[in-house]
Amino acid sequence: MEMLDDQACPRCKSTKFRNPALKLLVNVCGHTLCENCVEVLFVRGSGACPSCNTPLRRNQFRVQEFEDAYVEKEVDIRKRILKEFNRQEDEFTSLQEYNDYLEEVETIIFNLTNEIDMEATKKKVELYRKKNKESIMKNRSKQSSDQAYLEALIQEEKEKEEEKRQQLQFLERQTKSQKKRDKEALIDELIYSDMPAARVIASHTANVETQEAPVFKLPKKMTLATGIKVGLGYQDTFLPVPKQEVVVYQYEEEHYETYGPTAPTTEEIDTQRYNRHVRPASPQGEAGGYGHNLACLRALQEAFSGLLFFPLIHGKKEEASVMETS
Amino acid sequence: MKLNVDGLLVYFPYDYIYPEQYTYMLELKRALDAKGHCVLEMPSGTGKTVSLLSLIVAYLRTNPSDLTKLIYCSRTVPEIEKVLEELKGLVEYYEKETGEPANILGLVLSSRKNMCIHPQVSKEHTGKLVDHKCHELTASFVRERHNYDPTVPVCSFFEDFDAQGRDIPMAAGAYSLDDLKEAGRENGWCPYFMARHAIYHANIIVYSYHYLLDPKIAEMVSKELSKKSVVVFDEAHNIDNVCIDSLSVHITRRTLDKSQNNLDAIKRNIERLKETDAQRLQEEYQRLVEGLRDASQAREMDAQMANPVLPDAVLEEAVPGNIRQAEHFIAFMRRFVEYLKTRLRVQHVVAESPPAFLKDVYGKVCIERKPLRFCAERLHSLLRTLELTEIQEMAPLTLVANFATLVSTYTKGFSLIIEPFDDKTPTIPNPVLHFSCMDASIAIKPVFDRFQSVVITSGTLSPLEMYPKILDFRPVTMASFTMTLARNCICPMIVTKGNDQVTISSKFETREDIAVIRNYGNLLVELCKIVPDGMVCFFTSYMYMENIVASWYEQGIIDSIQKNKLLFIETQDGAETSVALQNYYKACENGRGAVLLSVARGKVSEGIDFDHHYGRAVVMFGIPYVYTQSRILKARLEYLRDQFQIRENDFLTFDAMKHAAQCVGRAIRSKTDYGIMIFADKRFSRADKRGKLPKWIQEHLKDSVLNLSTDEAIQLSKRFLRHMAQPFRREDQLGLSLLTLEQLESAEMRKKVEQTAHQA
Repeated sequence: MEMLDDQACPRCKSTKFRNPALKLLVNVCGHTLCENCVEVLFVRGSGACPSCNTPLRRNQFRVQEFEDAYVEKEVDIRKRILKEFNRQEDEFTSLQEYNDYLEEVETIIFNLTNEIDMEATKKKVELYRKKNKESIMKNRSKQSSDQAYLEALIQEEKEKEEEKRQQLQFLERQTKSQKKRDKEALIDELIYSDMPAARVIASHTANVETQEAPVFKLPKKMTLATGIKVGLGYQDTFLPVPKQEVVVYQYEEEHYETYGPTAPTTEEIDTQRYNRHVRPASPQGEAGGYGHNLACLRALQEAFSGLLFFPLIHGKKEEASVMETS
Repeated sequence: MKLNVDGLLVYFPYDYIYPEQYTYMLELKRALDAKGHCVLEMPSGTGKTVSLLSLIVAYLRTNPSDLTKLIYCSRTVPEIEKVLEELKGLVEYYEKETGEPANILGLVLSSRKNMCIHPQVSKEHTGKLVDHKCHELTASFVRERHNYDPTVPVCSFFEDFDAQGRDIPMAAGAYSLDDLKEAGRENGWCPYFMARHAIYHANIIVYSYHYLLDPKIAEMVSKELSKKSVVVFDEAHNIDNVCIDSLSVHITRRTLDKSQNNLDAIKRNIERLKETDAQRLQEEYQRLVEGLRDASQAREMDAQMANPVLPDAVLEEAVPGNIRQAEHFIAFMRRFVEYLKTRLRVQHVVAESPPAFLKDVYGKVCIERKPLRFCAERLHSLLRTLELTEIQEMAPLTLVANFATLVSTYTKGFSLIIEPFDDKTPTIPNPVLHFSCMDASIAIKPVFDRFQSVVITSGTLSPLEMYPKILDFRPVTMASFTMTLARNCICPMIVTKGNDQVTISSKFETREDIAVIRNYGNLLVELCKIVPDGMVCFFTSYMYMENIVASWYEQGIIDSIQKNKLLFIETQDGAETSVALQNYYKACENGRGAVLLSVARGKVSEGIDFDHHYGRAVVMFGIPYVYTQSRILKARLEYLRDQFQIRENDFLTFDAMKHAAQCVGRAIRSKTDYGIMIFADKRFSRADKRGKLPKWIQEHLKDSVLNLSTDEAIQLSKRFLRHMAQPFRREDQLGLSLLTLEQLESAEMRKKVEQTAHQA
């Protein structure tokens, strides 16, 4: 079992038990050193790590936060990577894509911490950074919806606490002034009343006991008619517009079975002069989008369709005869 | 006898009935008709169980379309057995009266430890070990391995049951634990899994609270029970604490160190598996990618690792990408464990809300809320894939994962308290992270939502309004019944001063006061002289009892007690206490007489009966308030005040009086019993305390006994005991507190019953 007291500096071997003031520092490579050793080794501001020989700078040493050096290193790398890989869930069209992205980030961090494929991974990170420069900058200021939710809850808690504090203060003030008033009233009564003092006091104490505790009224919160809450914490709680995967419409030419010879095309109507017997369109008609070629084409199509329709071909004679008899 | 309860024909397996049993059934039927929940209080020893069973069974038989199942939850195994005993009698009566089989299937479900018949496994002493061994023999992957390697041991009882038993429904009847074991031996089937399987078509299930309330267990055992069921929580006065405990997590430094070891072990396993059978990991990964919830066929056997309650919406979703791969998940957990370690390194007490904690986690180790929510499920899946058999050893890690899931799921109703040391030993650092549930309604909410009727019943539920409030539900009926007695066999007294007129109280200021301690001692000595057989005394805490006994020893009071009675003391050690209890019973049995000193909220006060000569007098020294300086309690009180408008003092008094009533109620277990109840504290005589005692005690608390000194109390007790010692026959009771069918149906009694029903 690894206890806090067992933590030791790998160089001078002093432990927390022997030196309660021991302060362990850690650098980018993830190896620890105590403060004194750092002083000794890095007098010039830079040097090599005594454990792994990585060149280190003195000003990059920081206090070790976690007992496990591995975790320390990982968290360090993670914070660096997440600064750039900061895309949010609502940027993705589907949950699966987001999850794939998360896994990719995780793999990068894992590789960097465990020093697997260092070169390739670093390149990958570099590439990503270049590619997404703008969105990285944009996302830096954004909060994820979960974080916003937490912020809102914390805010709410704070407000409640404040309210409670105010309430207590109010009650205290009220009871104090009430007491003072009661006392004055009692003295006044004792001065001016004709009744015996004992009875005055008795009636007075009975009075005080029946008095109700003051009721604290909350300062009214500002609310809008729309029900949108005003104040910090609620700003980011609008739901993001859900992005749906839309299938873009693609035109496909319809094909009709006409059962007839193919009608002339629009060009042929002009070139073969089919339209010579058709009344040219009036200016009013053309304004409405009507052209005489159109009418001609339609008439021809109608005329041709069904010309070659022979229901009795290909062994369907029996059926046809049945139909005839019925 | 056959009764007509509001138009329902009820077979009641005895020749006589208590009037309150009849009114109890009336109220119960009303709740069942309305398909709502109810809270019913009836003193212990008046036949709650049999009334409940006979009414509900009759209801099940006449309205099979409205109600299909009775789920009876009790606390301990002996209590469960007692229910089955009654049920058997009822079934026999049905068969005798109707002349045909009753067609009722009722059975018990208990832990593997109580049900296992495997020759080796059942020899183990602790429940955990039995579960563990059973798991080793019945887990799905073990059985799979057995298929191609017959040397891998499996449990033949389970195999046989799985092969043949699943399709054959159990014969109707009432099965106690022994009956189930017997049936299991006959067929060579595993009784545990037989019962687990049978509860889906049984009419009556009897099991422990935890099968319904503890989300970890409830999810696997009670998930598919039909909505048209009535759930009965018997002895439910502690139900709020059960609810809270089932959702609270306590993590110590040791837990974290152990989970670190667990993680290392898992890591080694993953590496090993990668070399030998990478396919399996890949398959798991694929499953997680596809977002399929592993509602696998093998759930039943692997189930001891089930996760805490999650909203269904989360379970439908895919596991987040950053913990999909096994190594990533291990790194993730490592980070989380390390983070918790840093949190435990505190110098003073920290109280935090879940949102603040989550924010801090994100800031420190970049763990977001979403993957945290999946922790328990993900770990479960990983352990299954790795096919680890020593799952019991993974308990610390599972605890941490459960905590992660809970803290990220519930943002309200919980609080996080980190204490650097125990309050009693402020010099020894022993940090504990308490993640405690403040709101009993969270755990029980699914039960109220799922089942059509929930009955909460006990001997001590007063004040009744408190339960609906703290459990957050709306009952259709609430009623408190008193015991109708042919003679005044309860003698409650409030002793407020000693012979020297010194006020006696256990309140903090007078706790060390030698005069109070001496007066408590004198009271006990005087009582010892006049009370025959057994006497039980309850103190407010172990510490208080130790202090008092120490000064009694110095003052020679212990010697004076021992002139008349033997003295036994309950300790925190369970085994020691049971030896003391055994000898106490022996001393009462052979007429020597004995005094048992015990502690409210202890083991003795909750489950052990002191009927007849085992307890002729109960003395409550002080009001058993809970230790109010505990931070967890403070947080809970604050929560109750903010959420449910329950004042701290009200709740504390409610809790204290509940326990006081529970303690003194130990002595009266039936109508022929009698006993003295002495409340030795000035504060008991105040109306707000007294008013919170159950109605059946309050009835006998006349004004004349509210402010007694020791010698007055002794005088009253003498008279009471002399009166009670007269022979008491059934004929004395008949017509008053015990009724035949004719008497019950007589117009006069009808009227009376209706009156009490209205009052309640």
